[in-house]
Amino acid sequence: MEQVIINGLYLGAQYALIALGLTLIFALMNVLNFAHGQMYVLGGFITYVIYGQLGLPFPLAVICSGLTLAAVGSVIERFLFAPVIKRSAREESTMLLAAAVAFFLDAIILLLFGEKQRGVPKIINGVFVSDSIVMPYDRIVVGVVAMAMIVAFMLYMQYSKPGRAMRALAQDRTAAQLMGVNVDRYSTIGFALGAMLAGLVGGLLVSITGVNSGIGGSISIKAFLMVMIGGAGVVGGAIAGGFILGMMESVGLTLLRNFGDVTYLVIFALLMIFLSIRPHGLMGKPWG
Amino acid sequence: MTARQKLGWVIASVAFLLVGVPLLISATGRTDLYYTLTTVALLSIISGGVWLTFYIGRINIGQGAFALIGGYVSAILVTQYGVSFWLTLPLAGLFCAVVSIVIGLPILRLRGVYFAMVTLTMTEVARLSAFALPITNGAKGIVNIPLPGAVTLFGVTIIPDFATLTNPRLAFYITSVVMMVVCFAFLYRLVHSRVGKICQSLQQNEELASSIGVNITYMRILAFAVSSFLGGIGGAMFAAIAQSMYPSSFGVQDSVNFMLNCFLGGLGYVLGPMLGTFVLYFGWDLLFKTGDFQLLIYSSILIVLMLVLPNGLLSIRLPVQKRASL
Amino acid sequence: MGMPTIRVALCAALAGLAFAAGPLSAQAQEKELKIGFVGVTSGPAAAWGISNVRSMQTRADWLNEKGGVKIGDTTYKITIVTFDDQKDPRRAIAGMEKMAQEGIRYVVGPNVDDGAAAVRPVAESKGIIYIPYSFPKELYTPPASNAILGMVASYQSAPAIYKYLKENKGVKTVAFVAANESDPLSQRDAGVAAAKALGLEVVAQNDTYQNDTRDFTPVLTPIVKLRPDLLVLSGVSPGNAPLLIRAARELGYQGIISTETAHDAKVLQEGAGDLANGFISVGGASTPEIRTPEMEEFIERYIKKYGEYNDESNTKVYALEYILETLKANPKAIDDVEEFKKTIDTFSAPNPFVKDGTLKYVGMTSFGQKRQLSVPMVVVEYWNGEFRTLFVGEVD
Repeated sequence: MEQVIINGLYLGAQYALIALGLTLIFALMNVLNFAHGQMYVLGGFITYVIYGQLGLPFPLAVICSGLTLAAVGSVIERFLFAPVIKRSAREESTMLLAAAVAFFLDAIILLLFGEKQRGVPKIINGVFVSDSIVMPYDRIVVGVVAMAMIVAFMLYMQYSKPGRAMRALAQDRTAAQLMGVNVDRYSTIGFALGAMLAGLVGGLLVSITGVNSGIGGSISIKAFLMVMIGGAGVVGGAIAGGFILGMMESVGLTLLRNFGDVTYLVIFALLMIFLSIRPHGLMGKPWG
Repeated sequence: MTARQKLGWVIASVAFLLVGVPLLISATGRTDLYYTLTTVALLSIISGGVWLTFYIGRINIGQGAFALIGGYVSAILVTQYGVSFWLTLPLAGLFCAVVSIVIGLPILRLRGVYFAMVTLTMTEVARLSAFALPITNGAKGIVNIPLPGAVTLFGVTIIPDFATLTNPRLAFYITSVVMMVVCFAFLYRLVHSRVGKICQSLQQNEELASSIGVNITYMRILAFAVSSFLGGIGGAMFAAIAQSMYPSSFGVQDSVNFMLNCFLGGLGYVLGPMLGTFVLYFGWDLLFKTGDFQLLIYSSILIVLMLVLPNGLLSIRLPVQKRASL
Repeated sequence: MGMPTIRVALCAALAGLAFAAGPLSAQAQEKELKIGFVGVTSGPAAAWGISNVRSMQTRADWLNEKGGVKIGDTTYKITIVTFDDQKDPRRAIAGMEKMAQEGIRYVVGPNVDDGAAAVRPVAESKGIIYIPYSFPKELYTPPASNAILGMVASYQSAPAIYKYLKENKGVKTVAFVAANESDPLSQRDAGVAAAKALGLEVVAQNDTYQNDTRDFTPVLTPIVKLRPDLLVLSGVSPGNAPLLIRAARELGYQGIISTETAHDAKVLQEGAGDLANGFISVGGASTPEIRTPEMEEFIERYIKKYGEYNDESNTKVYALEYILETLKANPKAIDDVEEFKKTIDTFSAPNPFVKDGTLKYVGMTSFGQKRQLSVPMVVVEYWNGEFRTLFVGEVD
């Protein structure tokens, strides 16, 4: 059982990190970014090239992934989302744009990096073994780094000037504007930050799970689930959602395996029931 | 434009679809277009349902679930109980409507992205249920479904047996177009009726609608049930065309596509989902010669369309027309 | 001018475009033989279709470079027409209709069960022979007659592999794990049946994962605890295989891992490194020992054209070869698939890719008629970046 819990915690940490970027973008702009998973994949491939192919240090590669995605994110926000949001009658219309961007990134990634599953050399060899727990060292490192990144992000949002501005923006766009917050600028920064998180986690996880040009869409959808569990647009909610989903998968796969192929059926059905009872997730606000 | 003019346009368009298109196809020899256009017609019916849920202010990414259920209901009734396909068609729709009422009661309280996500999850639940339930034949799917049989009334053959036709594709095309016309005529009537006005008020402000005495729960369930009915009959038709049904026949990707069809056409227009489906589906087909770059070109065009017409294709306004409508 | 006018104009313009932009290809100067492909070349399963298309394209270019293919008295240039069905059965039907429209009689694909079942009505009504890479027996047993299985089915290779492992490696207990999708689940059920028939003890068969899983530790944790002698990854996709292997090994699994699908050595090496050593899979002309120089040249040309070889093509190189060789044997089949079907029963030609191999149609035992390409069932073991032949079997 200890093993199951450790698995769930590790899974939760990486899920939470994926969900954070998505929820940030949603909170700031009310955009459900369908392309989040594709950004994750792009980050993964950048690390694959820099660390796996060129042989440069892994941390450098991950940082490059993050920075590239930040640039990509700000371009996408400035030239695509911002103009469309300004002109569309119903803000859900950005979903089509987000999906189109997702297709576009999918196409680019497939053309640039090919269809094969890619992997990089292990960052640390060896496996930690005790009586009840088996955990490879590289997973431990990645898990710890993921947690550290989550904490750093929360501190940044809490105490830095851009962080405070973005929180104000998320709470009430108009009020923030009236108080002199440069809304356009912080929207771009927020989107870039969200994309950067996707890139960072993509790069980080290449060392464990590799990367594959086709997985973007399903990662986005998983991230949506976590965000909804916790409550859309709430940082704490995304983290909670990530850990809950990770734990559910880990525990569910062990407990339900005797009942046939129903583990995921039960997980998804439970999610529907949970959301019916708590229509705004764990800590979400009733936004329309 | 007067009602009479409108009616004229509708009749002309329907005549074009039912007579003109088959003539054009036989003239050009492009018989593959029958299937493509049939698909467009059926997908627009399914997307029309999604559009209706948009009309009450809900983002529906669960229509794939109902298309899947509809397909299975028809496939199971036809193959295991020998029911005529034409009877299973409405039954599939009704079954989906009943399911949607049961599910809708709790989940229609959700709004915005929460409703979107819960319906997305529902698509996955439907797929996994199709694997787990004994009646669906699980992973092996249902194959070798016979073509729709004949319907006779008082000895007169109303619908011939599709298996005996030389061109069942044409028969499917005609059936689908008729269904599409009926479905959109119904949607048009619905939206322009008192009920439609109330639905629109739900889209704008539910609390306000509720406070002036609208039974919002009832209205939402009604719209969702109609939507799912359309998903169900569309799915059943596809099962008949492919003559097979698998748990993966409709999935998350399809649910998302149905929603995108509505966005592309324009959420404010009844005909939006029809045009959106046409462009999205046909666009992909037209680009098939571009090989490796198909997806790249396709997505670039979509992005540009969104930048130019963020409110959907039907929001296009020519300067001349602006004056005319004043 | 009112709104409907614009709408009608818009629709008319699009419809016109649709009719105009059709194939209607220009009169070819030299005789052209078009062979189709309908399958998935984008999205999560892109790897399957892409290795197909690239094999066909590489071989076609090579043949054209040599002056084309002589069928009867006519020499043809080969053109490959591809259609990406996005793994959507409805698109697959559209693709098959397109192929019929282009006058194509021979199509490779689709890659998955639902697509292969969905295109059957079109293929039969339009007279197209297609070569799917999916295993349901209904597709190949009478009355179905237009589909020809393009590879060794899991229900054919699984018994051979388990028997070999039982006799040579002392395997007694087996555990199965599969993705919760049609193809893998069907393959798992076939594997479970085969294992039970051999008297092996099946200790786990209900464990499934979502195909988009990236971390397989949770699903494998309970299985590894059971310590099976053999862990079968039923119908595992090439992308997921290294992740599953790595997770199982890191959890301390010591037994043998095997699958019945084809895999790529480079992907295994990158994704799992040494941990993948001993992994058993099924290939076509996968190992240097059995390859002919022609196969080596094929691989060279593939690498030259696309930068990197994909070992899945060891199996997928065959479909085009079979079509062309059968047409050579009976030139009348070039636009009449009934002639093709007649030739199937007696056809035999040397296999250009494998030493001492024969191209012929098989499937009598499984389907009651010859509706399968005889691809050598080369069971291979991964070892330090390459495959080694474990044994070579044959399907009848």
